[in-house]
Amino acid sequence: MSSSLRIAKQDMDQLVSALTSRYRLFGPVDVDGATVLREVKSADELALDAALDGPVKAAFFPQTEMLLSYDGTTSEPPPGRDKPTAVLGVRPCDARSLLLLDKVFGTGKYRDSLWQRRHDDSLIIGLGCGTPLETCFCNSMNLGPFDSQGSDIMLTDIGDAFLAESCTDKGERFLKAAYKSQVQRPSQADLDKAGQVRGKALESLAPAADFSGVKAALATLWDSALWDEVALGCLSCGACAYLCPTCHCFDVQDETAPGTRQGRRVRIWDTCQSALFTKEASGHNPRLSAKERIRQRVMHKFSYFVDNFGEAACVGCGRCIRMCPADFDVRLVLQKVKEAGKPGKAKDARRAG
Amino acid sequence: MKQENRQGRQERQGAESKTLRHAQSDSLTGTARKLLKEKKADLVIGYERGSSGRRARPAVIREEKDVDRLIFDNTCGPSLVPFVRKALRAAQPGTRVAVVAKGCDGRALVQQVAEGQLKRDQVVIIGVGCGGVVDARRRTPDARRPGQEASSVEREASGVLSDSCRRCRYPNPPVYDVFVGEPAEARTGDEFAGVAEFEKLAPADRWAWFERELAKCIRCYACRNACPMCYCEECFVDQTNPQWFGKSAERPDTTLFHLVRALHTAGRCVDCGACERACPLGVRLGLLNKRIEQEVRERFGFTAGLSLSAAPALAAYSEDDRQEFIL
Repeated sequence: MSSSLRIAKQDMDQLVSALTSRYRLFGPVDVDGATVLREVKSADELALDAALDGPVKAAFFPQTEMLLSYDGTTSEPPPGRDKPTAVLGVRPCDARSLLLLDKVFGTGKYRDSLWQRRHDDSLIIGLGCGTPLETCFCNSMNLGPFDSQGSDIMLTDIGDAFLAESCTDKGERFLKAAYKSQVQRPSQADLDKAGQVRGKALESLAPAADFSGVKAALATLWDSALWDEVALGCLSCGACAYLCPTCHCFDVQDETAPGTRQGRRVRIWDTCQSALFTKEASGHNPRLSAKERIRQRVMHKFSYFVDNFGEAACVGCGRCIRMCPADFDVRLVLQKVKEAGKPGKAKDARRAG
Repeated sequence: MKQENRQGRQERQGAESKTLRHAQSDSLTGTARKLLKEKKADLVIGYERGSSGRRARPAVIREEKDVDRLIFDNTCGPSLVPFVRKALRAAQPGTRVAVVAKGCDGRALVQQVAEGQLKRDQVVIIGVGCGGVVDARRRTPDARRPGQEASSVEREASGVLSDSCRRCRYPNPPVYDVFVGEPAEARTGDEFAGVAEFEKLAPADRWAWFERELAKCIRCYACRNACPMCYCEECFVDQTNPQWFGKSAERPDTTLFHLVRALHTAGRCVDCGACERACPLGVRLGLLNKRIEQEVRERFGFTAGLSLSAAPALAAYSEDDRQEFIL
């Protein structure tokens, strides 16, 4: 069934070449100090020990993606894929985010062919989070730093090697094909070390917050002055949404070469924090200020997404806190929401504006 | 007007504007409490401890009981000027906002007054001397490792001081209503040394550097929204009728955004470094802005944010202005 093996860090090339021969491989790469997701060709490009700054969604939902090209009379779809996608070094929060996005794009009422093209047959190689950051709160979102949901194979950093464990049949098949008979089984010492790493990670996380009442509280807070206060601490940029592993709104633009009828239609990540996001052709904007926009972001994640898909669109990765230029902290907002919520006064805020 | 005179006059005007007392003995919290109590300010915008020890969070204080949240130290990086504008926009007319101002923030407030964006009596400037702030995203090998976001941060020793702070010449606000603590000593040396160093590179290498930096940009506009001088109600990149710029995160579009923004802040940028510190991916914008600041200084003898009344460099005309590029 599930197999486990020891992969020495100096032998990561073997894993990477097994991956790149079958998949288009993405992984965390250091670019002048920022850890971003990039296509990877060899193991020495990988930066597996740092928290990924960019979101994993970019492997399946690129920031800028061509929908079609046109010349004025006909249009062409984008070229098909030559290989399925694999991502190496995916933290459990990010692995779970892909499951949430698949509910939106892959398996829900509306299927997105571009998402499916990239996501179908993909292989996710998770990496347990040995040293969570101060801004991490996966444990408050029903997740843990070594949860394997969403991963096909799970790696645990045990010092000079990774302990690799298959979590799905797909992961199992890949490991078997990649390593055949050369598998190095982990020793009891390796397994003990992995246990210690996991235990230490759990200890270093702040105690889980109870956000269970948030959705009910939000239903009573549509008109609350809370949002005025919350909005004062937000600069209305898009850093949180673009770095969020579950935010998935996009804009569609036609880019036509000047003086011709040739061009391309692209979709580009968009953010509800931008005034332009809801600006209508007439010039009217139903979300006039930061107040309405930040409310939308919180409502979408912790209320509407729950209505539509049964769980919150947040995995506790903390990027929106860590990367915010104003140190805006969604955990504090959720706490305030819980405190301000008035049970029994719920009204359907969903379509109210 | 001779160039030297223009500069000199500005600095004199700046000095004359230090009208109120230099209250060294007053603590920040004491000053804030007093301003609220005596109704000299309706709210105080300062910093409080953030979620990570490496970064302070902008705080809006309305009541005396909350002033103890205020701090000032080298984690107080964000410019508070955009928050002042937000608070004023949301408030009743006549509201006075007190704001904790480092040298750069003070200059940005002064420049906004000079540009007619802010009335001097809308703000009570609580000046603080600043020894420089850390760039929490500066990725020293240790600082970026998970779990090592240290709760106390050493300044230059650990290499986390903001680039703008390393070259800062104005650690104290040129204009203030009340000053808290000791003024900070200005750094010496060539503030444009980094620019000179960069200009030694071959053009192809310089362009390669820009391409590499701009490839990181995700068009989140954190730089713009954190900038104390980006106050346009509608940014050029957000205009849709007509739409001047592509919206993608691909290089031509990101490059154009940053180049046009840099030109738009020419002669206005106070090199506070808020844009660089705001960038989630560490795009280094400061070098370009500094080069433009140098150009404006050389051509027009103008330094932004020193005078409440000097006409902004690019909004003024002098017969002495160099115009060799016009045939």
